[in-house]
Amino acid sequence: MDVRFDKVSKTFGASVAVDDFSITIDDGEFVVLLGPSGCGKSTTLRMLAGLEDVTSGQIFIGGECVNHVPPRARDLAMVFQNYALYPHMTVAGNIAYPLRIRKLSREEIAGRVERVAALLEIGSLLGRKPRELSGGERQRVALARAIVREPRAWLMDEPLSNLDARLRVQMRGELKRLQHELGTTTIYVTHDQAEAMTLAHRVAVMRNGKLQQFDTPLNIYHRPANHFVAEFVGSPSMNFIEGRIDPATGVFKGEGIVLHLDRPRFDSLKKPDAEQRVVLGIRPEHVQVSAGQRDGWLPASVYVTELMGSETFVFVTLAGEKIIARAPGEFRADVESMVWVNIDMTKAHLFDANTGENMWRRQDV
Amino acid sequence: MFLCVRVFVANIFGLMKHRLINLFKYPLVLLALLAALAPIYWMLTISLKREVDQFAVPPRWFSFTPTLEHYADAFLARSFGQYLITSAIVAVCSTFCALLIGTLAAYGLARFRMPHRLDRKLSLWILSTRMFPPIVTAVPLFLMMRDLYLLNTRASLVILYTGFNLPFVVWMMRGFFLEAPRELEEAAMVDGDSRLGALRRVLLPLVAPGLAATAVFCLIISWNEFLYALVLTQTDAAMTLPVGIAGRVTQYEIKWGVMSAAGVVAMLPILIFAMAVQRYLVRGLSLGAVKG
Repeated sequence: MDVRFDKVSKTFGASVAVDDFSITIDDGEFVVLLGPSGCGKSTTLRMLAGLEDVTSGQIFIGGECVNHVPPRARDLAMVFQNYALYPHMTVAGNIAYPLRIRKLSREEIAGRVERVAALLEIGSLLGRKPRELSGGERQRVALARAIVREPRAWLMDEPLSNLDARLRVQMRGELKRLQHELGTTTIYVTHDQAEAMTLAHRVAVMRNGKLQQFDTPLNIYHRPANHFVAEFVGSPSMNFIEGRIDPATGVFKGEGIVLHLDRPRFDSLKKPDAEQRVVLGIRPEHVQVSAGQRDGWLPASVYVTELMGSETFVFVTLAGEKIIARAPGEFRADVESMVWVNIDMTKAHLFDANTGENMWRRQDV
Repeated sequence: MFLCVRVFVANIFGLMKHRLINLFKYPLVLLALLAALAPIYWMLTISLKREVDQFAVPPRWFSFTPTLEHYADAFLARSFGQYLITSAIVAVCSTFCALLIGTLAAYGLARFRMPHRLDRKLSLWILSTRMFPPIVTAVPLFLMMRDLYLLNTRASLVILYTGFNLPFVVWMMRGFFLEAPRELEEAAMVDGDSRLGALRRVLLPLVAPGLAATAVFCLIISWNEFLYALVLTQTDAAMTLPVGIAGRVTQYEIKWGVMSAAGVVAMLPILIFAMAVQRYLVRGLSLGAVKG
C-alpha cells in the first residue's frame, strides 16, 4: 500500500523532532529513513505506526488519512530494535498473537504460523520461549510476527542493530530477498548507511528533523543534495576542502592548495562571487595515489595507511589538508613517505560553505 | 621470607574473621527467630491448654493436656465463624477493588505524560493521603458512613479498605509498569490490540509477580485492620475478626483461650497464602532491583 507524508511535523514541548516532512512511498517500495541518532527518523516511523500523535500535517496510507486512526486499525506490522517479543508466550504464541487478536480460526492460525515459520526456518523453535533464543533467532521470530499477518506495510526500527556484524550482513540479505518476494511496502529506519544503500529502493536522509534528500541510493551517493548528505553517506567519508573560487578563471584556492575546476562543469555553474566561501568535496575513490612521480600530480606525504585486503585507504597530507584516497589492495607506502596524488575534478562536488547546498548536482549520472 | 610471614598472618586473620562471623551469625539468627516465634508459640499453646494450665506457675511450656474446647467455644458457641467470614469477604473484596482501580490508575500515571507534570504531582498527591494518622479521619468517616446509612455493614469496610490500599497499589504497580519495556505494549497495539487489550494480554502477565506481591500486602493490611472496623461495626453481623477478638477483653473477664484460638485461626489464611505465593513475592519485591 502506498504511504504519503504531507508536511508532517512533530514537536515535543519546545523541541522540534520532525519538521515539515513530506515524502510519497509507492506500493511495494522499500524506503529507508537514514540519519544520525536524534534526527527524527524513529519519530517519523512511530507517527506512521500511530504510536505518536502528529503535531501538524497529514499521513496517508493507501490514500486514507490515518492521523486519528489508532495503531490497531492501521493494519501495519512493526519490528522493533529490541524485537519486543512477548516474554511470557512461546515463539508460536508470539507469531500467532496478531492473528488471535483478529479472531481467526484455530486451523487458519496454525497453518499460517507454520508457513511463516518454514519461510524463516524457525519451525523447530516454535515451542520455545523468547529468552531461550539467540539474538538472530529472536530477530527471525520478530520478522515472522510482522510477516504472518500480511499487513499493508512493514515498519522496521533498526531491526538489525542488535546483531553481530556477520549475522547483520546475512539477515540484511535475507530481509531484502523476503521483501522482494512478498512485495510488501517497507519503511525501514537505520543510522547505518551501508544498510540504507544495500536495502533501499529509495533513501530518505534526515537531519535535525528535516528531510535532506529523498532519492535512489546511487543518486544519494553520486549526487548528494548538500554537504551533510555527502558526508554522512559513504565510507570512508568524502574529503572536504574549504576555499574560494575565482569567478573569472575557475580556479579553486584553498589554504595552501590550488585546483583547476573542470571547465565545462564550471561553465554550467551559477558563478559565485570572489568572496563566497565554498567547500570542495571529493570521494576517496576519485583521488588516485602513486608511489612514483607523475606529470601534473600533486606531491603529498603519507599520514597513515589502512589495509583492508581488497583495497587500501591512504591518508595523505596534501598542502596542509588531510585527504583520504582509495588505492588498490596491493598499494604500499611508509608513513611520512612521499606520494603523488591526482584529484579527478570531473567528479568533484562544490558546496556552499554557508548553506551546505550542492552548487552543482552532477548531470552525467 | 617477610612476605611469607605476612601472607601467613593475613590468612590466619582472614580465617579468624570468617570463624568469628560464623560464631555470631547463627546465635543471632536463633535469637531473632526466638523473638519472632515465641509469642506465636505462646498463643498456640494457650489456645490448646485448659484454663487451669494457662497460668500455671511455673509455666507449662510443653507438658499440658491439650484440648480443643476453646476452638469449639469460639466457633460453635460464639460468633467467631461469622467474624471470620466477614473478615474474608471484606479483605478479598477490598483487595480486588483496590487492585482493579489501582492498577488502571498506575498504568495511566506510568504511561501518559500529562501537561504541567501533572502525572508526577498526582502520584505524589496520592501517596500523601497515606501520610496522616488514620485516627484523624476516624470520626469524619464515622459521620459520613452514618449519613450514608452504611454503619454496621461490610460495604463500609470494603469501601474504606479499598481507599486505604489504593495509594499503596498505585505506587507499587506504577513502579512495575515503569520497569516494563514500553515497546511490548506498542508492539501489541501495532499488532492489532487495543490499549486495554495490550495491558491485559501483554503487560499484566509480565508484571504478574508484582501484582501478586501487591495483592498479598493488601490482603494482610485489610485482614489485620482494627481501628476503622472497631469504629464502624458494632454488630456481630458486620464485625471483623480482630474486633471480635478484642471484644473478649471485658470488664469482668478476659477469655484468653477463646482469643488465642481465634487468633490462631486468624493467622492461618495469611500464612498459607503467603507461603503459596512466596516465590512470586520474592520476585515481585525484587522486580525493580535486577533488570532483565
